[in-house]
Amino acid sequence: MALNSVVETDFPEEFIEEMEKTDGVLPKKIDANPENVEKGLAKLVLTLIELLRKLLEKQAMRRVEAGSLSEEEIEKVGETLMKLENKMKELKQIFDLEDEELNLNLGPLGDLM
Amino acid sequence: MHDVVTKSRDVTLLEVLDRVLDKGVVISGDAVISVADVDLIYLGLKVLLSSVETMEQLRGAPITGPMQEPT
Amino acid sequence: MALYIYGIIDSSDRINEPIYGLDGACVYNISYCDIGGVVSELSEQLQNVTKNSVLAHEEVIERLMGHFTVLPVKFDTVFDGRDCVLSMMQSYYRHFKDNLNRLRDKFEFGVKVIWPADKIKKRIRNSHKKNEHEMPIPDGSSNKKFMRKKLEKYRINEEFEKKANKFINVMDIFFSKFAVEKTLKKLKTENLLLDAAYLVEKDRQDDFKEAFEHVKSSQPDFKYLFSGPWPAYNFVILSNKNDLLKDSEQEDLFDRVIQQRELVGVDKIWH
Repeated sequence: MALNSVVETDFPEEFIEEMEKTDGVLPKKIDANPENVEKGLAKLVLTLIELLRKLLEKQAMRRVEAGSLSEEEIEKVGETLMKLENKMKELKQIFDLEDEELNLNLGPLGDLM
Repeated sequence: MHDVVTKSRDVTLLEVLDRVLDKGVVISGDAVISVADVDLIYLGLKVLLSSVETMEQLRGAPITGPMQEPT
Repeated sequence: MALYIYGIIDSSDRINEPIYGLDGACVYNISYCDIGGVVSELSEQLQNVTKNSVLAHEEVIERLMGHFTVLPVKFDTVFDGRDCVLSMMQSYYRHFKDNLNRLRDKFEFGVKVIWPADKIKKRIRNSHKKNEHEMPIPDGSSNKKFMRKKLEKYRINEEFEKKANKFINVMDIFFSKFAVEKTLKKLKTENLLLDAAYLVEKDRQDDFKEAFEHVKSSQPDFKYLFSGPWPAYNFVILSNKNDLLKDSEQEDLFDRVIQQRELVGVDKIWH
Protein backbone atom coordinates (compact mmCIF):
# COMPACT_ATOMS: atom_id res chain seq x y z
CA MET A 1 0.00 0.00 0.00
CA ALA A 2 1.50 3.28 -0.99
CA LEU A 3 0.56 6.33 0.99
CA ASN A 4 1.62 9.82 -0.02
CA SER A 5 1.85 10.92 3.56
CA VAL A 6 5.25 10.35 5.05
CA VAL A 7 6.08 9.60 8.65
CA GLU A 8 9.63 10.60 9.53
CA THR A 9 11.36 9.84 12.77
CA ASP A 10 14.71 8.57 14.01
CA PHE A 11 12.99 6.88 16.93
CA PRO A 12 10.04 4.80 15.71
CA GLU A 13 10.04 2.40 18.69
CA GLU A 14 9.92 5.20 21.26
CA PHE A 15 6.96 6.84 19.56
CA ILE A 16 5.17 3.52 19.16
CA GLU A 17 5.61 2.94 22.87
CA GLU A 18 4.16 6.31 23.87
CA MET A 19 1.29 6.12 21.41
CA GLU A 20 0.32 2.68 22.60
CA LYS A 21 0.13 3.95 26.16
CA THR A 22 -2.61 6.40 25.26
CA ASP A 23 -4.53 4.35 22.73
CA GLY A 24 -5.36 1.60 25.19
CA VAL A 25 -7.49 4.01 27.16
CA LEU A 26 -9.89 4.98 24.38
CA PRO A 27 -13.31 3.43 24.81
CA LYS A 28 -14.52 3.06 21.27
CA LYS A 29 -18.00 2.01 22.18
CA ILE A 30 -19.80 0.82 25.25
CA ASP A 31 -19.47 -2.86 25.86
CA ALA A 32 -22.91 -4.26 26.70
CA ASN A 33 -21.64 -7.77 27.28
CA PRO A 34 -23.25 -8.84 30.60
CA GLU A 35 -20.05 -10.24 32.13
CA ASN A 36 -18.31 -6.95 31.55
CA VAL A 37 -21.12 -4.61 32.51
CA GLU A 38 -20.25 -4.80 36.19
CA LYS A 39 -16.60 -4.12 35.59
CA GLY A 40 -17.49 -1.34 33.14
CA LEU A 41 -19.69 0.33 35.73
CA ALA A 42 -17.05 -0.04 38.42
CA LYS A 43 -14.53 1.55 36.10
CA LEU A 44 -16.82 4.49 35.45
CA VAL A 45 -17.65 5.08 39.10
CA LEU A 46 -14.08 4.67 40.31
CA THR A 47 -12.81 6.95 37.55
CA LEU A 48 -15.09 9.71 38.77
CA ILE A 49 -14.11 9.13 42.39
CA GLU A 50 -10.43 9.24 41.41
CA LEU A 51 -11.04 12.54 39.63
CA LEU A 52 -12.63 14.01 42.72
CA ARG A 53 -9.94 12.64 44.97
CA LYS A 54 -7.18 14.13 42.83
CA LEU A 55 -9.01 17.45 42.68
CA LEU A 56 -9.30 17.46 46.47
CA GLU A 57 -5.64 16.62 46.91
CA LYS A 58 -4.59 19.36 44.55
CA GLN A 59 -6.86 21.88 46.24
CA ALA A 60 -5.38 20.93 49.59
CA MET A 61 -1.85 21.44 48.31
CA ARG A 62 -2.79 24.83 46.92
CA ARG A 63 -4.13 25.88 50.29
CA VAL A 64 -1.01 24.63 52.06
CA GLU A 65 1.15 26.68 49.71
CA ALA A 66 -1.05 29.69 50.28
CA GLY A 67 -0.66 29.23 54.02
CA SER A 68 -4.40 29.09 54.60
CA LEU A 69 -4.45 25.83 56.55
CA SER A 70 -3.75 25.65 60.28
CA GLU A 71 -1.58 22.86 61.68
CA GLU A 72 -4.67 21.16 63.01
CA GLU A 73 -6.37 21.39 59.62
CA ILE A 74 -3.29 19.97 57.91
CA GLU A 75 -3.46 17.06 60.33
CA LYS A 76 -7.16 16.45 59.59
CA VAL A 77 -6.82 16.84 55.82
CA GLY A 78 -3.81 14.52 55.85
CA GLU A 79 -5.77 11.85 57.69
CA THR A 80 -8.74 12.15 55.32
CA LEU A 81 -6.66 12.09 52.17
CA MET A 82 -4.71 9.11 53.41
CA LYS A 83 -7.88 7.19 54.19
CA LEU A 84 -9.31 8.07 50.76
CA GLU A 85 -6.16 6.93 49.03
CA ASN A 86 -6.11 3.63 50.89
CA LYS A 87 -9.81 3.06 50.23
CA MET A 88 -9.26 3.63 46.53
CA LYS A 89 -6.34 1.18 46.49
CA GLU A 90 -8.64 -1.37 48.10
CA LEU A 91 -11.44 -0.80 45.58
CA LYS A 92 -9.05 -0.96 42.67
CA GLN A 93 -7.83 -4.32 43.92
CA ILE A 94 -11.33 -5.66 44.43
CA PHE A 95 -12.35 -4.78 40.88
CA ASP A 96 -8.97 -5.68 39.48
CA LEU A 97 -8.40 -2.27 37.89
CA GLU A 98 -5.10 -0.56 37.18
CA ASP A 99 -4.53 3.18 37.55
CA GLU A 100 -4.20 3.58 33.79
CA GLU A 101 -7.65 2.07 33.26
CA LEU A 102 -9.33 4.73 35.34
CA ASN A 103 -9.52 7.39 32.71
CA LEU A 104 -12.13 8.61 30.30
CA ASN A 105 -11.76 9.85 26.78
CA LEU A 106 -13.90 12.90 26.24
CA GLY A 107 -13.46 13.10 22.46
CA PRO A 108 -12.40 16.62 21.50
CA LEU A 109 -11.58 17.42 25.12
CA GLY A 110 -9.00 14.68 25.32
CA ASP A 111 -8.67 12.43 28.32
CA LEU A 112 -10.33 13.30 31.61
CA MET A 113 -7.12 12.99 33.58
CA MET B 1 17.25 -3.91 8.33
CA HIS B 2 13.97 -5.76 8.09
CA ASP B 3 13.29 -4.77 11.66
CA VAL B 4 13.67 -1.09 10.88
CA VAL B 5 11.36 -1.36 7.90
CA THR B 6 8.72 -3.11 9.98
CA LYS B 7 8.93 -0.55 12.73
CA SER B 8 8.67 2.35 10.29
CA ARG B 9 5.65 0.78 8.70
CA ASP B 10 4.12 0.29 12.12
CA VAL B 11 4.65 3.89 13.08
CA THR B 12 2.94 4.88 9.85
CA LEU B 13 0.03 2.61 10.66
CA LEU B 14 -0.25 4.15 14.11
CA GLU B 15 -0.30 7.63 12.64
CA VAL B 16 -3.02 6.58 10.20
CA LEU B 17 -5.08 4.89 12.92
CA ASP B 18 -4.72 7.95 15.13
CA ARG B 19 -6.51 9.92 12.42
CA VAL B 20 -8.99 7.65 10.68
CA LEU B 21 -10.51 5.95 13.69
CA ASP B 22 -12.16 8.95 15.32
CA LYS B 23 -11.36 12.12 13.40
CA GLY B 24 -12.53 13.80 10.21
CA VAL B 25 -16.19 13.87 9.35
CA VAL B 26 -17.86 11.99 12.17
CA ILE B 27 -21.50 11.65 11.34
CA SER B 28 -24.13 10.46 13.71
CA GLY B 29 -27.58 9.62 12.59
CA ASP B 30 -30.11 6.89 12.06
CA ALA B 31 -29.14 6.50 8.45
CA VAL B 32 -25.65 5.39 9.37
CA ILE B 33 -25.08 1.78 10.20
CA SER B 34 -21.74 0.43 11.15
CA VAL B 35 -20.44 -2.63 9.45
CA ALA B 36 -18.05 -3.55 12.20
CA ASP B 37 -19.82 -4.04 15.45
CA VAL B 38 -19.11 -2.60 18.88
CA ASP B 39 -15.43 -2.33 19.53
CA LEU B 40 -12.60 -1.25 17.37
CA ILE B 41 -10.25 -2.39 20.06
CA TYR B 42 -6.74 -1.44 19.32
CA LEU B 43 -4.33 -3.81 20.99
CA GLY B 44 -0.74 -3.13 20.22
CA LEU B 45 -0.50 -2.98 16.47
CA LYS B 46 -3.35 -5.33 15.77
CA VAL B 47 -6.81 -4.03 15.02
CA LEU B 48 -9.19 -6.60 16.41
CA LEU B 49 -12.83 -7.01 15.79
CA SER B 50 -14.90 -8.21 18.70
CA SER B 51 -18.05 -10.12 17.84
CA VAL B 52 -19.53 -9.23 14.52
CA GLU B 53 -23.30 -8.96 14.79
CA THR B 54 -25.90 -9.47 12.14
CA MET B 55 -27.42 -6.59 10.19
CA GLU B 56 -30.71 -6.90 12.11
CA GLN B 57 -28.98 -6.28 15.42
CA LEU B 58 -27.08 -3.32 14.01
CA ARG B 59 -30.16 -1.54 12.69
CA GLY B 60 -31.56 0.63 15.43
CA ALA B 61 -28.18 0.92 17.13
CA PRO B 62 -27.23 4.50 16.37
CA ILE B 63 -23.55 5.25 16.35
CA THR B 64 -22.62 8.56 17.90
CA GLY B 65 -19.24 10.10 17.44
CA PRO B 66 -17.48 13.00 19.14
CA MET B 67 -17.87 16.49 17.70
CA GLN B 68 -14.79 17.99 16.17
CA GLU B 69 -13.32 21.31 17.24
CA PRO B 70 -9.77 22.54 17.06
CA THR B 71 -8.42 23.42 20.49
CA MET C 1 -26.76 -1.76 -1.16
CA ALA C 2 -24.39 -0.84 1.61
CA LEU C 3 -22.26 2.15 0.67
CA TYR C 4 -18.96 2.80 2.39
CA ILE C 5 -18.06 6.49 2.35
CA TYR C 6 -14.49 7.80 2.25
CA GLY C 7 -14.78 11.54 1.99
CA ILE C 8 -16.67 14.62 0.88
CA ILE C 9 -15.21 16.45 -2.10
CA ASP C 10 -15.80 19.88 -3.61
CA SER C 11 -16.94 18.54 -6.95
CA SER C 12 -20.00 17.00 -8.50
CA ASP C 13 -18.00 15.48 -11.35
CA ARG C 14 -17.48 11.84 -12.01
CA ILE C 15 -14.22 10.40 -10.85
CA ASN C 16 -12.30 9.67 -14.02
CA GLU C 17 -9.33 7.67 -12.86
CA PRO C 18 -10.06 4.26 -11.37
CA ILE C 19 -9.58 4.33 -7.60
CA TYR C 20 -10.15 1.15 -5.64
CA GLY C 21 -11.16 1.01 -2.01
CA LEU C 22 -12.26 -1.66 0.42
CA ASP C 23 -12.95 -5.08 -1.05
CA GLY C 24 -11.27 -3.88 -4.22
CA ALA C 25 -14.45 -2.04 -5.17
CA CYS C 26 -14.19 0.96 -7.45
CA VAL C 27 -15.10 4.25 -5.82
CA TYR C 28 -17.51 6.73 -7.36
CA ASN C 29 -18.93 10.13 -6.59
CA ILE C 30 -22.50 10.68 -5.45
CA SER C 31 -23.07 14.31 -6.27
CA TYR C 32 -25.29 16.75 -4.43
CA CYS C 33 -25.34 20.28 -5.81
CA ASP C 34 -21.72 21.27 -6.22
CA ILE C 35 -20.22 18.75 -3.82
CA GLY C 36 -20.04 14.98 -3.68
CA GLY C 37 -19.69 11.98 -1.40
CA VAL C 38 -17.16 9.44 -2.57
CA VAL C 39 -18.33 5.91 -1.89
CA SER C 40 -17.82 2.33 -2.86
CA GLU C 41 -20.16 -0.61 -2.62
CA LEU C 42 -19.66 -3.11 0.14
CA SER C 43 -20.36 -6.76 -0.43
CA GLU C 44 -23.24 -8.32 1.48
CA GLN C 45 -20.87 -10.08 3.80
CA LEU C 46 -19.78 -8.02 6.75
CA GLN C 47 -16.40 -6.44 6.59
CA ASN C 48 -13.57 -7.36 8.89
CA VAL C 49 -11.64 -4.48 10.35
CA THR C 50 -8.02 -5.02 9.46
CA LYS C 51 -4.82 -3.15 8.94
CA ASN C 52 -5.35 -3.49 5.20
CA SER C 53 -8.82 -1.98 5.22
CA VAL C 54 -7.63 0.99 7.27
CA LEU C 55 -4.76 1.62 4.86
CA ALA C 56 -7.07 1.13 1.87
CA HIS C 57 -9.39 3.75 3.34
CA GLU C 58 -6.54 6.21 3.78
CA GLU C 59 -5.15 5.54 0.34
CA VAL C 60 -8.45 6.40 -1.34
CA ILE C 61 -8.58 9.72 0.46
CA GLU C 62 -5.00 10.55 -0.45
CA ARG C 63 -5.64 9.73 -4.11
CA LEU C 64 -8.63 12.08 -4.02
CA MET C 65 -6.48 14.75 -2.40
CA GLY C 66 -4.48 14.92 -5.59
CA HIS C 67 -7.47 16.31 -7.51
CA PHE C 68 -9.96 17.72 -5.01
CA THR C 69 -10.35 19.27 -1.62
CA VAL C 70 -11.39 16.38 0.61
CA LEU C 71 -13.10 16.23 3.97
CA PRO C 72 -11.96 12.81 5.19
CA VAL C 73 -14.74 10.73 6.71
CA LYS C 74 -14.14 8.60 9.78
CA PHE C 75 -13.28 5.00 9.14
CA ASP C 76 -16.17 2.58 9.02
CA THR C 77 -18.98 4.96 8.07
CA VAL C 78 -21.57 3.09 6.06
CA PHE C 79 -24.93 4.08 4.62
CA ASP C 80 -27.70 1.77 3.51
CA GLY C 81 -28.16 3.17 0.04
CA ARG C 82 -27.82 6.15 -2.21
CA ASP C 83 -30.84 7.96 -0.78
CA CYS C 84 -29.36 7.88 2.70
CA VAL C 85 -26.14 9.40 1.40
CA LEU C 86 -28.05 12.14 -0.42
CA SER C 87 -30.17 12.89 2.60
CA MET C 88 -27.06 13.15 4.76
CA MET C 89 -25.43 15.51 2.28
CA GLN C 90 -28.53 17.64 2.23
CA SER C 91 -28.49 17.94 6.03
CA TYR C 92 -24.81 18.79 6.19
CA TYR C 93 -24.49 20.72 2.95
CA ARG C 94 -23.77 24.07 4.52
CA HIS C 95 -21.28 22.55 7.00
CA PHE C 96 -19.52 20.67 4.24
CA LYS C 97 -19.32 23.72 1.99
CA ASP C 98 -17.89 25.86 4.77
CA ASN C 99 -15.28 23.27 5.64
CA LEU C 100 -14.34 22.67 2.00
CA ASN C 101 -13.84 26.38 1.44
CA ARG C 102 -11.85 26.77 4.61
CA LEU C 103 -9.63 23.77 4.00
CA ARG C 104 -8.98 24.23 0.28
CA ASP C 105 -5.27 23.92 -0.66
CA LYS C 106 -4.30 23.18 2.91
CA PHE C 107 -2.76 20.05 4.40
CA GLU C 108 -2.34 18.74 7.88
CA PHE C 109 1.08 18.01 9.31
CA GLY C 110 1.71 16.14 12.52
CA VAL C 111 4.49 16.88 14.97
CA LYS C 112 5.23 14.74 18.01
CA VAL C 113 7.99 15.37 20.52
CA ILE C 114 9.36 13.07 23.20
CA TRP C 115 11.38 14.57 26.02
CA PRO C 116 13.36 12.83 28.79
CA ALA C 117 10.71 13.14 31.51
CA ASP C 118 12.60 11.04 34.07
CA LYS C 119 15.78 13.05 33.69
CA ILE C 120 13.91 16.30 34.02
CA LYS C 121 11.99 15.19 37.10
CA LYS C 122 15.26 14.05 38.65
CA ARG C 123 16.82 17.42 37.98
CA ILE C 124 13.85 19.18 39.55
CA ARG C 125 13.89 16.88 42.56
CA ASN C 126 17.59 17.51 43.10
CA SER C 127 17.26 21.26 42.81
CA HIS C 128 14.42 21.17 45.33
CA LYS C 129 16.57 19.24 47.79
CA LYS C 130 19.48 21.63 47.35
CA ASN C 131 17.45 24.80 47.66
CA GLU C 132 15.65 23.76 50.81
CA HIS C 133 12.30 25.19 49.75
CA GLU C 134 10.32 26.36 52.70
CA MET C 135 8.30 23.40 53.97
CA PRO C 136 5.16 24.84 55.55
CA ILE C 137 4.28 21.49 57.10
CA PRO C 138 6.26 20.46 60.19
CA ASP C 139 7.43 16.89 60.52
CA GLY C 140 5.67 14.67 63.03
CA SER C 141 2.63 12.44 62.84
CA SER C 142 2.03 10.02 60.00
CA ASN C 143 -0.63 12.41 58.68
CA LYS C 144 1.91 15.23 58.58
CA LYS C 145 4.46 12.99 56.89
CA PHE C 146 1.83 12.07 54.32
CA MET C 147 1.09 15.72 53.63
CA ARG C 148 4.78 16.60 53.37
CA LYS C 149 5.29 13.90 50.77
CA LYS C 150 2.20 15.03 48.87
CA LEU C 151 3.33 18.63 48.87
CA GLU C 152 6.74 17.70 47.55
CA LYS C 153 5.15 15.69 44.75
CA TYR C 154 2.79 18.54 43.99
CA ARG C 155 5.65 21.04 43.75
CA ILE C 156 7.71 18.82 41.49
CA ASN C 157 4.69 18.25 39.26
CA GLU C 158 3.94 21.96 39.03
CA GLU C 159 7.48 22.73 37.96
CA PHE C 160 7.45 19.82 35.54
CA GLU C 161 4.36 21.20 33.83
CA LYS C 162 5.77 24.71 33.80
CA LYS C 163 8.88 23.49 32.03
CA ALA C 164 6.76 21.55 29.56
CA ASN C 165 4.70 24.61 28.72
CA LYS C 166 7.86 26.67 28.23
CA PHE C 167 9.31 24.26 25.70
CA ILE C 168 5.99 23.78 23.94
CA ASN C 169 5.43 27.52 23.59
CA VAL C 170 8.83 28.04 22.02
CA MET C 171 8.28 25.26 19.50
CA ASP C 172 4.76 26.39 18.76
CA ILE C 173 5.95 29.90 17.94
CA PHE C 174 8.13 28.52 15.16
CA PHE C 175 5.49 26.19 13.75
CA SER C 176 2.67 28.70 13.96
CA LYS C 177 4.55 31.08 11.68
CA PHE C 178 3.63 28.89 8.74
CA ALA C 179 0.37 27.38 9.90
CA VAL C 180 -3.14 28.77 9.75
CA GLU C 181 -4.66 26.51 12.39
CA LYS C 182 -3.39 24.07 14.99
CA THR C 183 -4.39 21.61 17.67
CA LEU C 184 -1.98 20.89 20.52
CA LYS C 185 -2.04 18.07 23.03
CA LYS C 186 0.42 18.70 25.83
CA LEU C 187 1.92 15.88 27.90
CA LYS C 188 -0.34 13.14 26.61
CA THR C 189 2.01 10.90 28.52
CA GLU C 190 4.88 12.01 30.71
CA ASN C 191 7.32 11.46 27.87
CA LEU C 192 5.13 12.64 25.00
CA LEU C 193 5.67 16.33 25.51
CA LEU C 194 3.73 17.37 22.44
CA ASP C 195 1.29 15.81 20.02
CA ALA C 196 0.31 18.50 17.56
CA ALA C 197 -1.41 18.90 14.23
CA TYR C 198 -0.86 21.99 12.11
CA LEU C 199 -2.89 23.11 9.12
CA VAL C 200 -0.48 24.42 6.50
CA GLU C 201 -1.14 26.06 3.16
CA LYS C 202 0.11 24.13 0.15
CA ASP C 203 2.63 26.85 -0.71
CA ARG C 204 4.10 26.97 2.75
CA GLN C 205 4.80 23.27 3.14
CA ASP C 206 8.53 23.67 2.62
CA ASP C 207 8.76 26.58 5.03
CA PHE C 208 6.95 24.54 7.61
CA LYS C 209 9.31 21.61 7.15
CA GLU C 210 12.23 23.99 7.48
CA ALA C 211 10.82 25.35 10.74
CA PHE C 212 10.57 21.79 12.00
CA GLU C 213 14.19 21.06 11.11
CA HIS C 214 15.21 24.23 12.90
CA VAL C 215 13.36 23.28 16.08
CA LYS C 216 14.82 19.79 15.88
CA SER C 217 18.39 21.04 15.64
CA SER C 218 18.01 23.66 18.34
CA GLN C 219 16.85 21.08 20.89
CA PRO C 220 18.74 17.93 19.87
CA ASP C 221 18.25 15.93 23.06
CA PHE C 222 14.54 15.60 22.39
CA LYS C 223 13.07 13.07 19.96
CA TYR C 224 10.92 14.14 17.04
CA LEU C 225 8.33 12.71 14.69
CA PHE C 226 7.12 14.55 11.61
CA SER C 227 4.25 13.33 9.45
CA GLY C 228 2.24 14.53 6.50
CA PRO C 229 0.86 15.81 4.32
CA TRP C 230 -2.42 14.44 5.62
CA PRO C 231 -5.98 15.31 4.73
CA ALA C 232 -7.28 17.73 7.36
CA TYR C 233 -8.56 15.12 9.83
CA ASN C 234 -8.06 17.33 12.85
CA PHE C 235 -9.57 20.43 11.32
CA VAL C 236 -13.01 19.42 10.15
CA ILE C 237 -15.57 21.28 12.21
CA LEU C 238 -19.04 19.86 12.32
CA SER C 239 -21.64 20.49 14.91
CA ASN C 240 -24.68 18.32 15.28
CA LYS C 241 -27.76 19.88 13.74
CA ASN C 242 -29.85 18.82 16.69
CA ASP C 243 -27.73 20.55 19.31
CA LEU C 244 -29.71 22.38 21.93
CA LEU C 245 -26.81 24.66 22.79
CA LYS C 246 -25.81 27.56 20.59
CA ASP C 247 -22.20 27.57 19.43
CA SER C 248 -21.17 30.19 21.97
CA GLU C 249 -22.81 28.31 24.82
CA GLN C 250 -21.07 25.16 23.70
CA GLU C 251 -17.75 26.95 23.78
CA ASP C 252 -18.44 28.13 27.34
CA LEU C 253 -19.19 24.60 28.40
CA PHE C 254 -16.03 23.29 26.78
CA ASP C 255 -13.98 26.01 28.45
CA ARG C 256 -15.38 25.22 31.86
CA VAL C 257 -14.72 21.53 31.50
CA ILE C 258 -11.19 22.21 30.25
CA GLN C 259 -10.60 24.45 33.26
CA GLN C 260 -11.64 21.63 35.56
CA ARG C 261 -9.27 19.30 33.79
CA GLU C 262 -6.45 21.75 34.25
CA LEU C 263 -7.14 21.82 37.98
CA VAL C 264 -6.43 18.13 38.04
CA GLY C 265 -3.76 18.46 35.43
CA VAL C 266 -1.55 15.72 34.14
CA ASP C 267 -0.67 13.98 37.35
CA LYS C 268 1.76 11.47 36.08
CA ILE C 269 3.97 11.50 39.15
CA TRP C 270 1.14 11.47 41.61
CA HIS C 271 1.25 7.72 42.16
